[in-house]
Amino acid sequence: MPLPYDAILATLISTIRGTVNEDWIQDFPIGAETRFNDDLELESIEFVKIADAVQSRFGTDLDIAGFLSGRSIQELIALSVGDLAQFIAA
Amino acid sequence: MARILLTVPPLTGHLNPALAVAEILAAQGHVLAWAVHAEQIGRALPAGAHVFPLDGDGGTGASALPTARGLESVRLFYEDYAFPMAAAALAPLEQAARAFRPDVMVVDHQAMAGALVARKLGLPFVSLVTTSASIQKASPMIDAWVAAQFAELQRDYLPHSFIVERPDFSPHRMIVFSIRSLAGDTRTLVDAPYLFVGPALSDFRRQVDFPWGWLDLDQRLLLVTLGTISRDSGTRFFEVIMEAVQDLQRLQVVMVAPACLANRAPAHVLVRETVPQLKLLDRAAGVICHAGHNTVCEALTRGLPMIVSPIRDDQPVIARQVIDAGAALFMRHGKVTPKVARATIETLLNTPSLAERARALGGALRQAPGAAGAAAAIAALAGAGRRAA
Repeated sequence: MPLPYDAILATLISTIRGTVNEDWIQDFPIGAETRFNDDLELESIEFVKIADAVQSRFGTDLDIAGFLSGRSIQELIALSVGDLAQFIAA
Repeated sequence: MARILLTVPPLTGHLNPALAVAEILAAQGHVLAWAVHAEQIGRALPAGAHVFPLDGDGGTGASALPTARGLESVRLFYEDYAFPMAAAALAPLEQAARAFRPDVMVVDHQAMAGALVARKLGLPFVSLVTTSASIQKASPMIDAWVAAQFAELQRDYLPHSFIVERPDFSPHRMIVFSIRSLAGDTRTLVDAPYLFVGPALSDFRRQVDFPWGWLDLDQRLLLVTLGTISRDSGTRFFEVIMEAVQDLQRLQVVMVAPACLANRAPAHVLVRETVPQLKLLDRAAGVICHAGHNTVCEALTRGLPMIVSPIRDDQPVIARQVIDAGAALFMRHGKVTPKVARATIETLLNTPSLAERARALGGALRQAPGAAGAAAAIAALAGAGRRAA
């Protein structure tokens, strides 16, 4: 049974805080609209770590590489936490 | 002696290595000409240089560099800067090449028009790679995006049979101003005939005054620079560093930062808008920088470990290379707090392995042939071309 979107979003946000693991991000407001590039200044290597953690939490049949490769560079730049949560929920 | 046509974008970090190589080639008696945006960088060329302006008749000036961060800056650099500049430069550059009749062209890797003109006219060319980021394999999505832009640039200019996926990679020589232990191995690099020559270190920068008496030889010196400050007018990062070093002992900090910060600086922090960077690096124990390719090479050449705080363009890739090589720590430019900055600076100054790795890389950088190695490869290709002709 698919997990509800809100639960996925909450888990994703705590995964991001845990992976970045710096002081500022513990209080930094993160929501569905928060963008990985502009708002969080995440490096691609950190995004991969977050994606790996999400994989192991929600199941290995998630094709995150495929999800990313289907996007244009503009979409990748604008990728938000909610975009990733929606993909996991779908 | 060979006839050599050089083309580089109007950006200091790309022009300076080319100038160092050209100085050697000219001294050897080769005949040089430059096809460049003369209004922007003509003054930086040697006196009496033979110049074909790309911003004169039929050409247009280059637009301003975008100031976005991260991947967005890379997209804007190519879509709004490098590719439009290349499209506008094709006609004047082809005219220049037909008029000058070079034996070889020397083409900065980001001056893509040069590679297309050389391919069209059947001229041998070397690519000058001034950042080890531009030869890395990227993700399939980014590779496809770059290839699509090259397809469009070539479509109306080159005969169909000449079109290749990456015309910017010279089939003859890719001269990289870095070393393999920094730039990565065959798994991470686009397949091409590389020659790693190390940095072309020569000081074309103007003389800059500095209060040398301020430095205390009994204290460690930390240099903080994010490159040309005009592109980043924000002061947050510098203010965070200032607060972070407030109580650190036995330390002096020179900060290349806006002058408005000077009156807020504690006694052991000196704020200057420009500094004689190479001379200061000779005295420094560590560096905090944006991971610009030149600053990284200059610091490593002196065996200095560093904290890298990349913002845009190739900086995140270069930063990752130095971190992976064991000579640098990461600091998140727009987010770092005084607490994390202080801990990172203390780690930088108190971790012998960082300095050891920096010294090892410095040894390799100092042994690399530099501009002389690049000049020799260019002269060899020009000679081979003329023998074949």
